[in-house]
Amino acid sequence: MKEHLTELVKRAEADYCEIRVEDSTQTSIAYQGKDLDNVQESHMFGGNVRACVNGCWGFVTFNDVDKLEDRVQEAVRNARAAAAANAEKTVLAPVEPVEDVVKLDLQSDPRQVKLEDKIALFGAYNERMLGHDGVTSTNLRYFDKYTHLRFANSEGTWLDREAMDMGMGGGAVARNNGTTARGTASEGGRANFDAFRNLDDRFDKAAKTAIETAQAEVVEGGTYTVICDPHLAGVFVHEAFGHLSEGDNVAEDKRMQEVLKLGRRFGEDYLNIWDTGLDQGLRGYLPYDDEGVPTQKTWLIKEGELVGRLHSRETAGRMNEKPTGNARALDYRFPPIPRMRNTCIGNGPHGQFEDLIKDVKLGIYAIDAYGGQTNGELFTFTAGQAFMIRDGKIAERVRDVTLSGNVFDTLRNITGIASDYHVQDGAGGCGKGGQMPLPVSHGSPHIRIKDVVIGGR
Amino acid sequence: MVGTFTNKLGTLADAFEMFYSDGKSLRVSFENDRLSEIRQGQSAGISIRAVKNGKIGFSYSSKPDETDAVAEAALRMAPYGKAYDYDFASGARSEHTRPFDPACGELNPDKLVAICNHVKDTIKAIDSDALVDCTIGGGIGKSRIVTSNEQDCEEVDSSFSFSVSLRLAEEGNFVQNYRFAMANEVIPEEEILTDAKEVAEEFQIARKSEPFKKGTYPVLFAPSAFGDILMPIGISVNGTTIEKKISRFVDAMGEQLFDERLTLVDDPFHEEGAGGGLYDGEGVPTQKRAIIEKGVVNGFQHTLSTAKRCGHEPTGNAQRSVSSLPNPGMHNLVMAHGEGDLDEMLKQAEGGLYVSQMLGTFTSNFLAGQVSGNISLGFLIRDGQRVGRVKNCAMNVNAFDLLKSNIIAISKKREWVGNRYLPWVLVDGVTISA
Repeated sequence: MKEHLTELVKRAEADYCEIRVEDSTQTSIAYQGKDLDNVQESHMFGGNVRACVNGCWGFVTFNDVDKLEDRVQEAVRNARAAAAANAEKTVLAPVEPVEDVVKLDLQSDPRQVKLEDKIALFGAYNERMLGHDGVTSTNLRYFDKYTHLRFANSEGTWLDREAMDMGMGGGAVARNNGTTARGTASEGGRANFDAFRNLDDRFDKAAKTAIETAQAEVVEGGTYTVICDPHLAGVFVHEAFGHLSEGDNVAEDKRMQEVLKLGRRFGEDYLNIWDTGLDQGLRGYLPYDDEGVPTQKTWLIKEGELVGRLHSRETAGRMNEKPTGNARALDYRFPPIPRMRNTCIGNGPHGQFEDLIKDVKLGIYAIDAYGGQTNGELFTFTAGQAFMIRDGKIAERVRDVTLSGNVFDTLRNITGIASDYHVQDGAGGCGKGGQMPLPVSHGSPHIRIKDVVIGGR
Repeated sequence: MVGTFTNKLGTLADAFEMFYSDGKSLRVSFENDRLSEIRQGQSAGISIRAVKNGKIGFSYSSKPDETDAVAEAALRMAPYGKAYDYDFASGARSEHTRPFDPACGELNPDKLVAICNHVKDTIKAIDSDALVDCTIGGGIGKSRIVTSNEQDCEEVDSSFSFSVSLRLAEEGNFVQNYRFAMANEVIPEEEILTDAKEVAEEFQIARKSEPFKKGTYPVLFAPSAFGDILMPIGISVNGTTIEKKISRFVDAMGEQLFDERLTLVDDPFHEEGAGGGLYDGEGVPTQKRAIIEKGVVNGFQHTLSTAKRCGHEPTGNAQRSVSSLPNPGMHNLVMAHGEGDLDEMLKQAEGGLYVSQMLGTFTSNFLAGQVSGNISLGFLIRDGQRVGRVKNCAMNVNAFDLLKSNIIAISKKREWVGNRYLPWVLVDGVTISA
């Protein structure tokens, strides 16, 4: 296949051309309440051709490699048609061509675990949640996905890469007087199936959270000091700052370039944020991005100042900056766009959680997240569980805690960062551009933010 | 292919269902004021549910010629699967028809590029500072469901979509506005340009900020935001939450839970609706049904499995892709219009908010009725007009309470937002945090 693909992209009459062929198999297990709702082994095969002419792209997907030459011609034809009305030149930041074969490097391989054993393992977790008095229902989903990727571009890059991705998300649901509440547990990674074992405590906590939250009062709306646990803080940095750092927001927007000028101060000296593809074992690990660019650790904020952003070759080229290995595609059906990998807030100088909370007279301790959304400037997240903070101590549990705010104000309002950095992978992913769910990770220590708007009663 | 497959599976499985899909699409994208991409898509796949010894196995492949491998995998999965305690779809035929526009499969990229250019010109004439993204595309899809229970239904769908987004980033003020439309036929250029003009005019108003304090206000929801308020109802009539008894509506069939002006109908045959079809994702003929009728809970939405387990009749609401199992879902949500005149409703909402877009509401606890999120595009209403944008404020409402007691008026005019056809709705007593 190598000779065939490399020859096709070299012959393409375009400024740039690439072919991606992807072959993946996935095992999934899903429980709904008492039912083992679904067990499946499935196969996806397909690919795409992407061609660029005068800064315009032609993109064609296929499920059949028999007529690949035709697909290449279609992609080139589409790029040329788009370029006909475009006076620009193709600007892709230069990278050294690379030839590499990347084999899996696993601590424990999910493909070596019998399907029956996986069903027994996850079924026991599901049973465990159902065994708690007050739990009305449960859901639990596990998957492992093996992918074999072949990538060739017209500049001489050839990659033959294997990848593994695993994720699990489970939840308990409880009801009390018509109020329904959830508690969740998750795990994920790329290298170690054994990480999914011995998680009884986590599922007990999920059940307890659901039961207690269903009995809690809705939080009173207002503006609070909030302490976010590492998971919620990680979702915050992904949603609120990571997306803002993606090059396609900035590359062709002169006004945004002014707003996001490198060197701008975003927070206090103790605020450090980066995105990295180098953390082996995490779901955000990525040796090469989907343009064949080696990944790296990319600093975004260093000591409170903006120092970098996340690029594809095109966005880096347009801004005369260096590519960072952030061009990612969910699968062969989509073109790569600037996306995050593992996005992190670094440890700070403010001790442990106890040190952050002790001076908070009235606030909220927000733990875990059901997800969030940003439009670049504003954001919304819902905490997985939450407690009031009164006189420096954790007080009563509250429910339906939604955090909303302005990204710029909120980063400035981070008044404390602890030193207990932690990453917790799960089964979800990033949903940018309809490419959902792309495996990413996020990590952080506990952080304290003042003046956060909480929607409530 | 199907003949070979059915012969083989018919002897190996106690019962089976095959879902086959094939589609092609074309779309043109403008980004940052310029043409950026022409994309051609081809997608195909086959999935099989096979029953052996009373249990269902499932598998799929994106290569339709792998029918045998998929069938074998489905049979291999069966011992672990869910109990087969219902019957796959029978040979019942739909008595309805649905529009099909072959032009969606023969789109000319040059023509689409020209429309994108006209969209950009229309917007720039109103606000030359706005950066414009625009995507126009369409396609044809074919699906076929064959079951061992003598169903063999094939459907061909046409689709067309258009989206436009405007943005402007200035220090301390990012302004964005967008509009999208979906249809089962090619949308005329004039309609696209009318949408572009409206979204640009609203964008202009949004560039002016208005100070705003937290408090309790009347709120006029545009259809694009009111869809978020209806999410708790959507999830509460879903057969999965009914089966699991986590829906507030479990024992509420026939009860008056909402304002009598609230009627919601799921209409798979609506001529203008982008959703729907003659058969659902399991090959069951679809139905037009009211889920809320004059404020009364009137209907749940089921797959074959959830219907059986709840002791209800199937409703034809199974939705799926080739790679997923069927789940209950809405076809086209059509809300009954009211008698309100939009200008009058704006006057009634004096001092309150006009909310056009919400952010992150999908993370809310919909099962509890909660809809919470940042107001990403909201306007202060003064003298019966939207006078400027309010920012950095959040809303948290309980939709069950709001739609029972707080509706002031529902507009006569309605608008499609994706597969939802909704009016403007004015409510009072909404607490806004800022």
